[in-house]
Amino acid sequence: MSLASTAAYAARRAAQRERVRILYRRALKDTLNWAVHRHLFYEDADNLRARFEVNRGVEDPDTIDRLIVDGEAQYNKWRHPDPYIVPWAPGGSKFTRNPTPPEGIEIIYNYGREDND
Amino acid sequence: MALRAALIRHLRVPVQTVSPAGRVSQPSVANSLFGSIRFMSSHDDHLSKEDVADRVLSVVKSFPKVDPSKVTPDVHFQSDLGLDSLDNVEILMALEEEFKLEIPDKEADKIDSCKLAIEYIHNHPMAS
Repeated sequence: MSLASTAAYAARRAAQRERVRILYRRALKDTLNWAVHRHLFYEDADNLRARFEVNRGVEDPDTIDRLIVDGEAQYNKWRHPDPYIVPWAPGGSKFTRNPTPPEGIEIIYNYGREDND
Repeated sequence: MALRAALIRHLRVPVQTVSPAGRVSQPSVANSLFGSIRFMSSHDDHLSKEDVADRVLSVVKSFPKVDPSKVTPDVHFQSDLGLDSLDNVEILMALEEEFKLEIPDKEADKIDSCKLAIEYIHNHPMAS
């Protein structure tokens, strides 16, 4: 069915690959959130990679879509409630904490010297 | 009391003065001798391109599936080093951890080679 128009087929597979990459990236970050100690993280990362490798050879786009949806459902189920976000990134603690002041504003450091002195 | 004063004098660490325009000259030597330079604000420590390149290459070389002798600043992860797209994701995560960055998913998908990675990190304002 999708073999006739190979351009559309290739585009669909490329979109699926991108979804898989983004899913793997999020799952890996989530694994790091759960398993903070590096030796545990490496084991869990290897297990995650093995789970992705099992489905490596699947060719049928519908099966791949179903697998991706299953994977995303599992990822949503296992998301960490308090993930580590870099402080200045959206969702972090320093995000928009001190926005840059508008242009042309200067602070004059006269340490409280009055005009009469 | 005098012993304590003598000890503290003996252990005094020399203070580095930083010019307001930029970094102290020979920062790598300073780093090895006196520890990291302390900047008074958080926006002075823009990394130089060689620093970024060195650290990126060291991260890529220490990846277990990569042959360290093949790694150059121009290498492409998938075509030259024979890596997978999932390996690409792993390398990117290692780079994010090294430079304390958070790369959005769409941008992270596009970084495919050492050259792109070095450029992106160098142009990122919060890389450290």
